[in-house]
Amino acid sequence: MSFPPPPPPQPSIQQPPVSANHSPTVSSKIPSSVMSSSVPTNEFASTNSNPSNSTLPRSVYTLKPTAQLEALYTIIRDKETSRGDFLFYSDRIIRLLVEEGLNHLPVVNKSVVTPTGSTYAGVGFEGKICGVSILRAGEAMEQGLREVCRSVRIGKILIQRDESTALPRLFYSKLPSDIASRYVLLLDPMLATGGSAMKAVEVLLDEGVKEERILFINLISSPEGLNTFCNRFPRVKVITGWVDQGLNEKAYIIPGLGDFGERRYCE
Amino acid sequence: METPQNVGMSDLNAESSSLPVDHLSLQSKKNIVLVSHGRPPWYGPDGERISDAFVIGVAGGSASGKTHVARQIVKSLGFIPAIAILSQDSFYKKHTEEELALAHASLYDFDHPSAIDMPMFATCLEDLKACRQSNIPVYSFSEHQRLDETKYLYGPTVIIAEGIMALHDPALRSLYDLKIFVQCDSDLMLARRIERDVKERGRHVTGILEQYLRYVKPAYDNFVRPTAAFADIIVPGSNNDVAIELICTHVRRQLQERSNAFRRKLAVPHLYNSSLSRPPPPPQDGDLKLEILPPTPQVQGILTLLRSTDTPRQDLIFFFDRLATLLVENAMQFLPYCPHTVTTPVGVKTVGQKLNTKHICGVCIQRSGCVLERGFKRVLNNVPMGSLLIQSNSSDGEPLLLQVKIPVVLRKRTSAEDSWVFLLDAQIGTGAAAFMAIRVLLDHGVKQDHIIFVTYLVARRGGIAVLRRAFPHVHIICAAVDNEMKEGWLEGARGEGNPEGSGRRVWLMEPGMGQVSAMSFL
Repeated sequence: MSFPPPPPPQPSIQQPPVSANHSPTVSSKIPSSVMSSSVPTNEFASTNSNPSNSTLPRSVYTLKPTAQLEALYTIIRDKETSRGDFLFYSDRIIRLLVEEGLNHLPVVNKSVVTPTGSTYAGVGFEGKICGVSILRAGEAMEQGLREVCRSVRIGKILIQRDESTALPRLFYSKLPSDIASRYVLLLDPMLATGGSAMKAVEVLLDEGVKEERILFINLISSPEGLNTFCNRFPRVKVITGWVDQGLNEKAYIIPGLGDFGERRYCE
Repeated sequence: METPQNVGMSDLNAESSSLPVDHLSLQSKKNIVLVSHGRPPWYGPDGERISDAFVIGVAGGSASGKTHVARQIVKSLGFIPAIAILSQDSFYKKHTEEELALAHASLYDFDHPSAIDMPMFATCLEDLKACRQSNIPVYSFSEHQRLDETKYLYGPTVIIAEGIMALHDPALRSLYDLKIFVQCDSDLMLARRIERDVKERGRHVTGILEQYLRYVKPAYDNFVRPTAAFADIIVPGSNNDVAIELICTHVRRQLQERSNAFRRKLAVPHLYNSSLSRPPPPPQDGDLKLEILPPTPQVQGILTLLRSTDTPRQDLIFFFDRLATLLVENAMQFLPYCPHTVTTPVGVKTVGQKLNTKHICGVCIQRSGCVLERGFKRVLNNVPMGSLLIQSNSSDGEPLLLQVKIPVVLRKRTSAEDSWVFLLDAQIGTGAAAFMAIRVLLDHGVKQDHIIFVTYLVARRGGIAVLRRAFPHVHIICAAVDNEMKEGWLEGARGEGNPEGSGRRVWLMEPGMGQVSAMSFL
């Protein structure tokens, strides 16, 4: 049989726990317990939120906090980073997030014949997908999505805060007509309070999308936002690259990276 | 008589202003590497070099015909993979202001041994002899000065060092495998010199004679002619066809002996020879120390598409790129990082990580390594990329190094030692190309644990075990490991074992993905 053997244990891939790399003087960093990767939860690249730690909801999946990933975040967090570098390095993270998100889609066993004439028992992708970006910052993640899923359909949702009610309000949405039969990758780079993300999920549910078929993908999230979002929609899977320390009084993520859309398009 | 383009130091004393371009082009012709049909392995299965380059020293008076002898040897040894001719002219010292003034006034003695940077000459020759890269200084005859630029040279099998003082320095002499002195009658040398300088440079006979008597003749008598005693063979300066033929026969036999000694030791491509009495036990994956991409559903799905014969070509290219991106992202773990504090636009300071490397570059093994190049650039967008063209000889599977185009940082030993190199190739089957490419990088001074080999597939029973034993510290990352290697035919009759088909015999992985370069380019 030619099915690839199970992977050997991979101790080397795992960087030392992030907390070890942090100097104690840093107060503005993720609580080390949040990012701790000492408990293996998943055979794949991502680590689910640490089950022994109750800070993160069960439906949240983070990328493995390796030194190379942290280096990417360090570049895009730096306010001195040029727009070109911001584009390039945020695209790298977005691709990793989309790759991770796709791993939550189902596959089926599939045998193929290789050029050497032998049969290979592999897997085939199953299920149609589409992307939905929350304007405007979510649009910045479309390119990364397309580099991983060629010719994927992408819908858009514009949600803004209604100043009179202080609630997020839907201004515009354009979605694929058959979206109800698809898995949806919902794109928004920052999850701060979770208000607009929850509004977007409401829109998708109204269109007939099943809650468990929604994958919400973001680069940085706040623990508060994650908790609010996941309590409201516990069956939506959240793929986040990094869980930051929290929100400041203006509801900006700390340490965060500023306004993603602004840095990506305007600076 | 061949047009004596080089011949001796007298050129230097010629009018400095005239024909600077010619002088420069003349200079560049003197260091030449002729590549004919590729360089076979120069190392054993343990990864260590088994033979030095063959070094020939050619000395003799100015206008005695040294260059002619050197070129005749090159011509006669035409089958040799690569020959470099090093001229002593390249190694004139960097002059001080006073020396420079003297030189422009034609009062500097270029025919004295002290005019030549012998230690540097010896270092360059020593590096080349040990199959390391070398950077040959470039001397400008029009400026009478060594230039800042150097000429990178790597990989000659035969090196000919020529110049009037080629046999003068003991350090140089100890490097030669064969020492030649071109003996020529003084009258004849002077006659050639006058003829050349008058015809080609429009100089007056009086000036030529003055220079000859003041510098050239005493140098010959005091420093050049005595070195004939060190020569293994003395060649006449004219009518020397027989002597050259004798020299070439000797060199050929020496090279043949070295290559025979090597073939017996070469284990890499012959490991899977069907004549082997019993197959070696399959190595344990743990021993191979491969970093295998976690087999997520997506990675398995991509591999399935890449292995399938039904996948359309444009899909192949897309999924090769996607998998390469994942591989290189994963390979980034091997680079060193250090803590780095930044301020975010929110005004908060935070400690993160940053790459702690001086130089990073990529080298792809042509042709199939190029399949990984786009994925590589998605991760490392502005690092220099080089390539090595390595093809296996269809008759015996022996790899041949056909072209070396490596990034500038690797050409100098000092920067190569601080470089991290991503080596890209589609698969490691027999491992012969990987083996050779790693050896090329080590020859340049790259540290073993600074080499990160990125590949889609590795064959467990292939050359990987030998590769691992030879280079235990190289990082190897792949997407999957296949079990077997089997003989196959490239093109057409693949898989049917058709010996008279037009295809080329190749080793294919089982189940494998076929010939990656054929799939994505043809």
